[in-house]
Amino acid sequence: MKTDILSYFKKFSAASFSLLESNEDLAMNLHSEESDFIRFSQSKVRQNTTVQQHEVTLQYQKDQRVYRIKFNLTLDFEQDTAKVKSVLSQLRIELPQTDPSPQFVPIVNNGSSETFKKAERPSTADVIAIIGSTFTDADLAGLWCSGPLRQASVNSKGQFHYFETDYFFFDYSIYDGPRAAKSFYAEDSWNLKNFIEIAQQAKNTLALLKKPSLKIQPGQYKTYLGPMAVAEVLGLFNWRALSQSSFKQGFAPLKKLAEKETLMSDKFTLVENLNLGYSTPFNSLGEIGPKELVLIKNGHLDNLLTSTATATEYKLESNYADPSESMRSPEVKPGHLKEQDALKNLGTGLYLSNLHYINWSDIQTARITGMTRFACFWVENGEIQGPIQDMRFDDSLFNLFGKNLIDLTETQHVYTDTATYLKRSLGAMKVPGMLLQAMNFTL
Amino acid sequence: MQTEFDRYKKEADFVAFKTIHERTRDFGVRDGKPDSLSEFDDQGLLIEVMRNGHMGYSATCETTPEGIKQAFAQAIAMTDASSKYPVFKFDKQIRPGSKGKYQTETKKSLDSLSLAAVYDYLKKTSLALKTSDQIISTSSDAMIITCKQKYLSSAGADFEQSFDIVINSMSATAQKGSETQTRSLHGGRGNCRQVGAEHFQLDSALRECDSISREAIELLSAENCPSETCDLILAPDQMLLQIHESIGHPLELDRILGDERNFAGWSFVQPQDFGTLKYGSPLMNIVFDPTVSDELASYGFDEIGNPAQRKYLIQNGILKAGLGSLESQMRSGLSGVANARSSSWNRAPIDRMANINLEGGDLTLDEMISKVENGVIMFSNKSWSIDDYRRKFQFGCEYGKKIENGKLTKTLKNPNYRGVTVPFWNNLVGLTKPDSVETYGSPYCGKGEPSQIIRVGHSSPYALFKNIEVFGGG
Repeated sequence: MKTDILSYFKKFSAASFSLLESNEDLAMNLHSEESDFIRFSQSKVRQNTTVQQHEVTLQYQKDQRVYRIKFNLTLDFEQDTAKVKSVLSQLRIELPQTDPSPQFVPIVNNGSSETFKKAERPSTADVIAIIGSTFTDADLAGLWCSGPLRQASVNSKGQFHYFETDYFFFDYSIYDGPRAAKSFYAEDSWNLKNFIEIAQQAKNTLALLKKPSLKIQPGQYKTYLGPMAVAEVLGLFNWRALSQSSFKQGFAPLKKLAEKETLMSDKFTLVENLNLGYSTPFNSLGEIGPKELVLIKNGHLDNLLTSTATATEYKLESNYADPSESMRSPEVKPGHLKEQDALKNLGTGLYLSNLHYINWSDIQTARITGMTRFACFWVENGEIQGPIQDMRFDDSLFNLFGKNLIDLTETQHVYTDTATYLKRSLGAMKVPGMLLQAMNFTL
Repeated sequence: MQTEFDRYKKEADFVAFKTIHERTRDFGVRDGKPDSLSEFDDQGLLIEVMRNGHMGYSATCETTPEGIKQAFAQAIAMTDASSKYPVFKFDKQIRPGSKGKYQTETKKSLDSLSLAAVYDYLKKTSLALKTSDQIISTSSDAMIITCKQKYLSSAGADFEQSFDIVINSMSATAQKGSETQTRSLHGGRGNCRQVGAEHFQLDSALRECDSISREAIELLSAENCPSETCDLILAPDQMLLQIHESIGHPLELDRILGDERNFAGWSFVQPQDFGTLKYGSPLMNIVFDPTVSDELASYGFDEIGNPAQRKYLIQNGILKAGLGSLESQMRSGLSGVANARSSSWNRAPIDRMANINLEGGDLTLDEMISKVENGVIMFSNKSWSIDDYRRKFQFGCEYGKKIENGKLTKTLKNPNYRGVTVPFWNNLVGLTKPDSVETYGSPYCGKGEPSQIIRVGHSSPYALFKNIEVFGGG
């Protein structure tokens, strides 16, 4: 019989807190998932993996010192609590030999909450059959992921925040030789009609790629970035660009924006929007910050993500960012461009559905480099001329979201977080497409 | 585990149990004070089953008899459902019955290192990096990893592997006015290898601190790397990324077979290229070698029991073999290596790099520099990007020097270069001698769906390339 994780975690955490001595505090995070991962290649199953993973992180605090230890619950109560006893014994001896932390935040009770969400879906065995039959006429590669995911933040001061969701996504691309179209399906509730419609859209896109590919010379081109391409660029903002701690330590690509030496376009507004509902309402400390935190408003930097630890170290005000100081639920506000008019408004230039492998090329000027990927076209007079051979771009965020931003689409798309490194990730981003007066291509 | 394995070993066409217990202590000190002191004690079981020629997996941290029973039932159910739509029907040859042991050679156990001892080392080095008021931030970090694997299979495999690893990084960030520059010990987490507690030698680390700090300050007043096409010398701590991205990944057979297309990408290498493609100049000799004693990805067996062996991937510039496990070798009919690896107990093994090394040449570094009329030498990776076919790359380094008329002249900041894989490697015109080879690696090679981070090693001499496009910041 399967163990009820919430009940077990309540019992385990209470038992762990009872082991504390005076002047000791303990915070505890849970990440628990029961995941089905089905990896597809050539529209068939390459690998199937089911995962039962229940990871707890103990944050032990005493005398301004902090130590975090993470391990997996076996769900054998005696064994799991024995592990906590052993950890506490070790830390009582070792931790006093380090120095107090300049980022020390006392553990406090940030309240309690329990949230439950569930997306209705077919069994994974049925999904395998549906995907197999839907793409018999295509060469597909991708990943089906589904199952419950639970996160909790509790502590010895009485805090107990718990979030449980059960969701799915199918992240895939289809191929005609080297030509490829990217697609993605996730919904609050499985809908076969929608699944097939989205699959057909990908097949239609792939058909557009049948024209001979064109080699575009390096240079500056008017460019439309589809929403998935914008999502890729937004990922760079999450690579320390909006972190207060990184900023203070000299990793500050948006320094010129912060110091008002430059501005981005007044059409560009970036918000951490927890109202999207894809991430926990609490951060890993259990703090509940504002539902919406404006980061960049009409081209001005309004806020950097500032965790309570960073606020303590630098004597600033916390905006209850997660200690990682990365966005959990970013939204780029829409513009006025109609998505169906993207080609017409582009006129002549590049239509890029996806970008790939973006990295900083010069942090001080917020310059980034990356590649075009999947369905990318050369367009003339609003008509697709043919797919392009992959191109490398190298341009500044101050150009892309600044002087070269013509408009954003009025339609936004939501992409749930598909990251599965070490474990599944919660969160999502909501982004429109972007029309740029120029984008710089170098190779 | 033996008892539980015996209970299930006849319940499918093939059954294997792999346990992993990995302890990672990750300590960071910033500006002489604790930044993050943490630990991950990761333990779990991966069950492999073969049904109807299809391999399926179930992973669990519930290592109780009841947890294993449930995980095994899930493995059977999902593998049965998946086996109706298999990419390939395998046979049992993909899982050899290997027996044996592998253990990192160490002089002093990593378990002998206390938190206090490591903290003291990191604090002293972090403080030593602060040599000037222009240094605004210093960091000194160490990841100390002990990993134990055990594999039992119904084919008779029974092997254990034990790895001891240290990943040690230091960096200093200098600032003057609007200029900020960071210099580190061989770039990010490049300084990593299998080693014991003897790694931590404070005297030599303090000398490194002095050099890192001095060069960070030097970069504040340096010129930007010029934009031009010229000769380029790459130091081993940049070559590690060049080898990794433009040789390692494109030679992975599962990429060539198309499994990675939706995530990490495909490859420009075609199956018919093996044995014929002139990947680089005749100076280029690349080996897959998990048998080196102290490199980051050394082992005795890959994670499905294929014994590790050294093998040329590229010899005298000609592509010879790919990075394909027994599964990919059976699917493709191509020659491969022992490289089925997974990031932990909760992911299935896939084709990965291990140690991918470039062999040395016949020059001293001074001789190499003397051959350059106009060029740049670059050290320590800080930026990397390459396309999904592994053709067009752009890399950035921390520190550069201009070379004029055979001599090092001024320091250059923000040195970057870009190129296309095969033409780039065919422009290789010089390598320093084998005794100049330096060994680094990366603990963060990402790949796979679901995604996996794995450790890889790369050793290389200094390498000279002709006619490369270099440029700076701004």
